This record gives sequence, structure tokens and C-alpha cells, in this order.
Amino acid sequence: MMDALLLSRIQFGANITFHILFPTITIALGWVLLFFKLRFNATGDESWMDAYRFFVKVFALSFALGVVSGITMSFQFGTNWPGFMETVGNVAGPLLAYEILTAFFLEATFLGIMLFGFRKVPNWLHTLATVLVAFGTTMSAFWILVLNSWMHTPAGYEVIDGVVHATDWWAIVFNPSMPYRLAHMLLASGLTAAFLVAGLSAWRWLRGDRSGGVRVALRTGVVLAAGLIPLQILAGDMHGLNTLEHQPAKVAAMEGNWETRGNVPLVLFAVPDEEARENRLEIAIPNGASLILKHDPAGVVPGLNDFVAEDGTVKHPPVAPVFYAFRIMVGVGFLMLAVSWATGWRLWKRGEPGTVLAWTLVAMTFSGWVATIAGWYVTEIGRQPWLVTGVLTTAEAVTRTAGAGMVWTSLAMYLAIYVVLLAAYVGTLYHLAGKATVAATGRAAKTDPIAQGGERLAASASA
Amino acid sequence: MDVITQGQSWLPIAFAGLLGLSILLYVVLDGYDLGVGILTGALGAGEDAAHKDRMIASIGPFWDANETWLVLAVGLLLVAFPFAQGVVLGALYLPVALMLLGLILRGVAFDFRAKAVDGHRIWWDRAFFAGSTLAALTQGYMLGLYIVGFERTAVNVAFSLLTAVSLVAGYAFIGASWLILKAEGDLQRRAVRWARGTLWLVALGFVAVSIVTPLMSERIFAKWFELPWIVLLAPLPATAAAIFVVLHLALKALPTRTDRFSWVPFAGAIALFALGFYGLAYSFFPYVVPERMTIWEAAAADASLMIMLVGACLVLPMILGYTALSYWIFKGKAGALRYD
Repeated sequence: MMDALLLSRIQFGANITFHILFPTITIALGWVLLFFKLRFNATGDESWMDAYRFFVKVFALSFALGVVSGITMSFQFGTNWPGFMETVGNVAGPLLAYEILTAFFLEATFLGIMLFGFRKVPNWLHTLATVLVAFGTTMSAFWILVLNSWMHTPAGYEVIDGVVHATDWWAIVFNPSMPYRLAHMLLASGLTAAFLVAGLSAWRWLRGDRSGGVRVALRTGVVLAAGLIPLQILAGDMHGLNTLEHQPAKVAAMEGNWETRGNVPLVLFAVPDEEARENRLEIAIPNGASLILKHDPAGVVPGLNDFVAEDGTVKHPPVAPVFYAFRIMVGVGFLMLAVSWATGWRLWKRGEPGTVLAWTLVAMTFSGWVATIAGWYVTEIGRQPWLVTGVLTTAEAVTRTAGAGMVWTSLAMYLAIYVVLLAAYVGTLYHLAGKATVAATGRAAKTDPIAQGGERLAASASA
Repeated sequence: MDVITQGQSWLPIAFAGLLGLSILLYVVLDGYDLGVGILTGALGAGEDAAHKDRMIASIGPFWDANETWLVLAVGLLLVAFPFAQGVVLGALYLPVALMLLGLILRGVAFDFRAKAVDGHRIWWDRAFFAGSTLAALTQGYMLGLYIVGFERTAVNVAFSLLTAVSLVAGYAFIGASWLILKAEGDLQRRAVRWARGTLWLVALGFVAVSIVTPLMSERIFAKWFELPWIVLLAPLPATAAAIFVVLHLALKALPTRTDRFSWVPFAGAIALFALGFYGLAYSFFPYVVPERMTIWEAAAADASLMIMLVGACLVLPMILGYTALSYWIFKGKAGALRYD
């Protein structure tokens, strides 16, 4: 029987996994929409406005899902993790308050004007509303990542009678991991939005839609992806080095390195065995990890066995989930590099993506989600057993009021609704794309694309 | 001043005030759009479908920002009163989870109904109605549980169920009042009927809460019926009764041919919510967990409260300003919702 701690962790994990899908899209998609709008203002080319009108629907739907799943999380702080605010509320409180005050109201209010005010306000005000929505989503990301980073690398505080008090707000906001985590997350959002825009546009292109809106959106998505992915690889590397400095146990789990030593190989694949404290089926590049982390083939890299107490208590995170999630994230990242550059090259040379690359883009429509979630699992599971490193463990923060039965009930309910909503969301995006294509090409689809299901759709479109 | 602060820091009082303000704004603002959602349940297919679109269009630009006041309210509870949040939200675990389910359903249904496959639309409409009703029911139930100090005896649960139904009626009433203001023709006439039908339920809820609250503790009883405190409370029932009479008469006369006075029910509804809220705040102050934990016992450190108060004082006027801008842009009768 699972206890309230494990169930609360699964529940918060499920909620935050579902929630992050949508802000990851809207943070960057807001700026992409602004770009479409500004291009239209500058050129007067209706293609840009077509792209804006299609993706603003995607934005509105994603935003609504982000809002409702975000409310859920703020309540769960209190219902499931009361120890968090009791212990670190003096730091976390003001950060969350500033997020609500400077970001949530701004984006929510101007979203109404941005979505429904096009005919009611002057063009400059509509553009300004778009700017403020994009700015609001980014501010929200800033504050929440400040708090999250502080939980990883706390600074600027003192503990009095078991309660954290702020001593230096500058140090709290600009805590050691904040700049790296913020940059890494904003770039992740950019890539997620870029592949979403490119993927949906490629799908419309494959359905025979050659309208200007599809053309400019496809180009924007591919160019954005191709430009951001090298930056992301660089930012990820710097974030990794920062983590090595402040949370070495996490990096040891990411690398699957058990002993502190020099000449550590880069493990491409393995099955980490925490019982035996070794890797099985290891495929590795000699000296690779030492080269990446220390820029020296003989560099000494910390190992997991350093984080086991004398009495055998394990003080490092669970190895396998961190190890695998890291490889998924990096793998998707390099796939993004290959696909975006290949498509960018082809668009530059031929002006169209071609069937194979278009289908690859369709397959990668939601690749940003996979990489983002994998990355968050690396960093959040990698923080365990701490909730706030060195200050508060996850177990200390959990509810003592709600029993396992209650948490089971709410967890089952959330999981059911999230599965339904995720299916509805993805289905609706393709439905919207199908409708836009029908409108643009002027011919009705033979049958309803959603009712056909993905595979048969694939067969008919490539035929 | 010392009478109120009892020699302690004034910051927790400021935050109790802010928390109260955001709860009141939430109840009024999300109240009307939840109410519109509840009222969509009174519509059938056919010609009613156009009414439904118009009703939802009337709240389209606003619902998201309205709901943000709930985020601010729970945020303030978390951050200003960290030692009370676990007690309050832990005691309300399941109703909170159900409320969130309701808010999730209605929030996404709003967007999905306009964008999903046509055949699915009816399900999103049902989700919009069910989610709105569930959110209102659970909020009312939590209000009841809060008043009785979270003790789940049979009588207390029955009382909480009554407050649950009353809040649904209250939201439906303010929703109907909103529609009287924003709608025309047949829909406006129906909204007047809805408002008439729910007004007496709202009155019943007021009476029930007024009877039960002073019975919950000797302290509250004394505040209601002993001098000098009674002076602060006495105008309340009289004013509330007067508003009920005015609303009753106004709803008999509405809709008028020139559409004058269509704002009266909505203004009256706001006044009623504000009065009810004042009565409860007056009764429970200075407790944040009824009869167990005062705002000073629950509050965060003064230094952290100060940081937040500075931010709130700078930003809240801006929030109120652009909220007003949004209502001004979408003023007048609600048209169809269009992205272009």
C-alpha cells in the first residue's frame, strides 16, 4: 500500500507534468504571434495575418489549459505540501506573490483584448495587448524559475527556529542556478513552440495547403528551431557545469558514474543497477564525461558512492529515472538539430520541405514536450531526497492531515481528467489545422480527419 | 488602532484585508461568470443554442482574469498565513479537489466548445454547465464548513449543504443580473425570470448563515448582540433587507423599453455579496482558522510581508486600471465572439 507521501509525489508530478506542457508552448508562442503581427504591420502581407489567426487559436486553447492546471498546483501547495510554506514561506511567498501580481493578471486581462478585441480597439492597442500577453507569460516563467532555482541552490537566507528567513533578496533572486535554468527553460519553450508551429504547418502542407499562411509559418518554425537548438545545447552544457558545482550527486546520477575518479567515460547507454551499484550493458566513449564536465580527459568527476552515509543511508537521487530521462532529453535535442537544419537547408534551396522532411516535422510536432518533460524529470528527481536542498526534505513537507485514501481519490480523478484533456487537445489542434486547410484550399475533406484516426490519415495523405 | 492590533504588528491586518478584498472580488467577478455557466443548464437545443453562444460570449473576454482573483486569494493565504494554509486546505481536501475539477472542466470547455469537432460540442457544453455548478457547490460547501469550524457532524454537514445550494443560487442570481445588463430581447427577458427565481434562495441563504454564525461561538455571539459591538453590525440586516426589497421591485419592472435600470440587479447583487462578506469578516476577525488560530499566529515574518505589501501597493492599482480598461473596451451589449 502506498502512503500519502508517495501518492502526493505522484499527484504533484502528474499535475506539474500536465501543466508544464501548456506554458512551454504559450511562453514562446506569444512572442511568435507578436512576430507574425509585426510582420503584417510592416509588410501588409495577409499571409502573416493568416498565420496569426490560425496560431492565436492554438494559443488560446493552450493558455486555457495552462491556467486551469496551474490553479490546481497552487492549491496543492496547501492541501498536500503544507510543510513547504511553513518552512520556506518567507522566501517562496513573496516570489509567488510577485508572479501573481506582475504576470497572471497582466496576461489574463490582455488575453481577452488580444483574442476578442481586434475589431474593438485600434491596431496599436491590439499589438500592445499581444506584447503584454507575451511579456506576462515570460514574467511568470521568470518568477517561478527563480523560486524553483532557489529550491535547488538556496542562497540569501538564514534559519531561525527551523523557519527560513530572507536576508538578501538580491542573492535569493539571482541564486547560483537561476540564470542557467531560466535560459535553458526559455530556450526549451522556444523550441517547443517552433516544432509545434512547424509540425502543424507541415501537416497542412502535406494536405495540399500551399497558402501563404502555411508557407510563412512553416518557415518561421523551422528557422526558429534551427537557430535556437545550438544555443540550447550550449545553455544545457553550461547548466550541467553549474549543476556539477552545486548538486554533484545529480550529475553523478545523470552520468551513471558510481566512483569518484578521473578518465570517466561518457555512458551512451546502460542499465544502472542501484542494488549492485554498477552499470550493466554499458556502452561508453572513453574519457567522454571527464572531457565534457572538466574539459580534460583525466578530469576527476564525482561518483554516486560519495553520497552514501557510513550506515548505508543513500543520500543521492534514484539513479535510473535521472539517467534515462537525461538520455531522452539529449537524444531529442540532437534529433531536433538534425531535422531543423536539414529542413532549413531544403527550404533555402528548394523553397519547400519535401514529403519525407514534412512527415518528419509532423512526427516531431510535440517533440518539445518530450524533451522538456524529460529535462524537468532530470532536475526534479535529481534533487531528491531534498525539496529545498539542505533545508527541507520532501518527506518533511508532506501533509499530515490528508490520508492515503483521500490522496488516492484525488489522484485518480486528476489522472482521468488529464488523459481526456490531453487527447482532446491534440485532436482539436489537428481538427483546427484540417479546418484551416479546407478553408484555404477551397475543397472539402473527403471525410472527417479526426474520425479517421492517425494511421489511416497518414496513408491517405501520402497516397 | 491598538484596539484592533492588540499591540501586535499591523501587517497581518493589512494582509487579512487584502485576502478579504481578493476573495470578495473573486466571488463577485467569477461569481457572475460561474453563474452564467450554471444558467446555461436552463437552456435546451434549437433556438436556445444561439442564446447559449451569446451568454458565453458575454463572459468570454473576462473569465480568465476573474479566476485570477482566486489564484491571488489562495496565494495570499499561502504566503501571508503559511501556518494556517495547511490547516484550512487540509481540512477542505476533497471539496478543494472537486472544485478544481469543476474549474478545470469549465475553463477548458469554454475554449473546446468553439474549436472541437462539431459532434463533440454538446459534451463540452455539458462540461461547461457541470463544471460551473460543481465549482459553485463546492465553494459554498467549503464556506459552510469554514463557518462551523470544519467539524463534520450531521447538522454541520446539512448546514454546509444548504450554504452550497445557496451559493449556487447566489452565483446564478449575479449571473442572471449580468445577463440583464449585457443581453437584449428574449435572452434578457429570460435572465429577468432567472433572477426572480433565484433571489428568494439567496435570501434564504442569508438568513441561514446569519442564524448559524453567531451560534458557533460565544465570542461571535457577543460581537453580534452585545454593546458596543452591535453598533457595527446593526445596519447590516436592515441594509440587506432594503436591497432585497429594491431588487424584488426592480425585477418586477424589468426589462424596461429603453433599457434604463438594467444595471440595478447587478449593482444590487454586488452590494449583497459585499454585505454578506462584511458580516462574515466582522464575525471571524481576528481568526483565520475559526476559533483556533489568529492572523498573528498564522502570519509570515514581518520582513517578508513588507516586501509583498510594497509590491501589492504598486501593482494592484495597475491591475485595477487595466481591468477597468478591459471592461470599458467590451462595454455595452455582448456581441458574438470573434478572433478577427
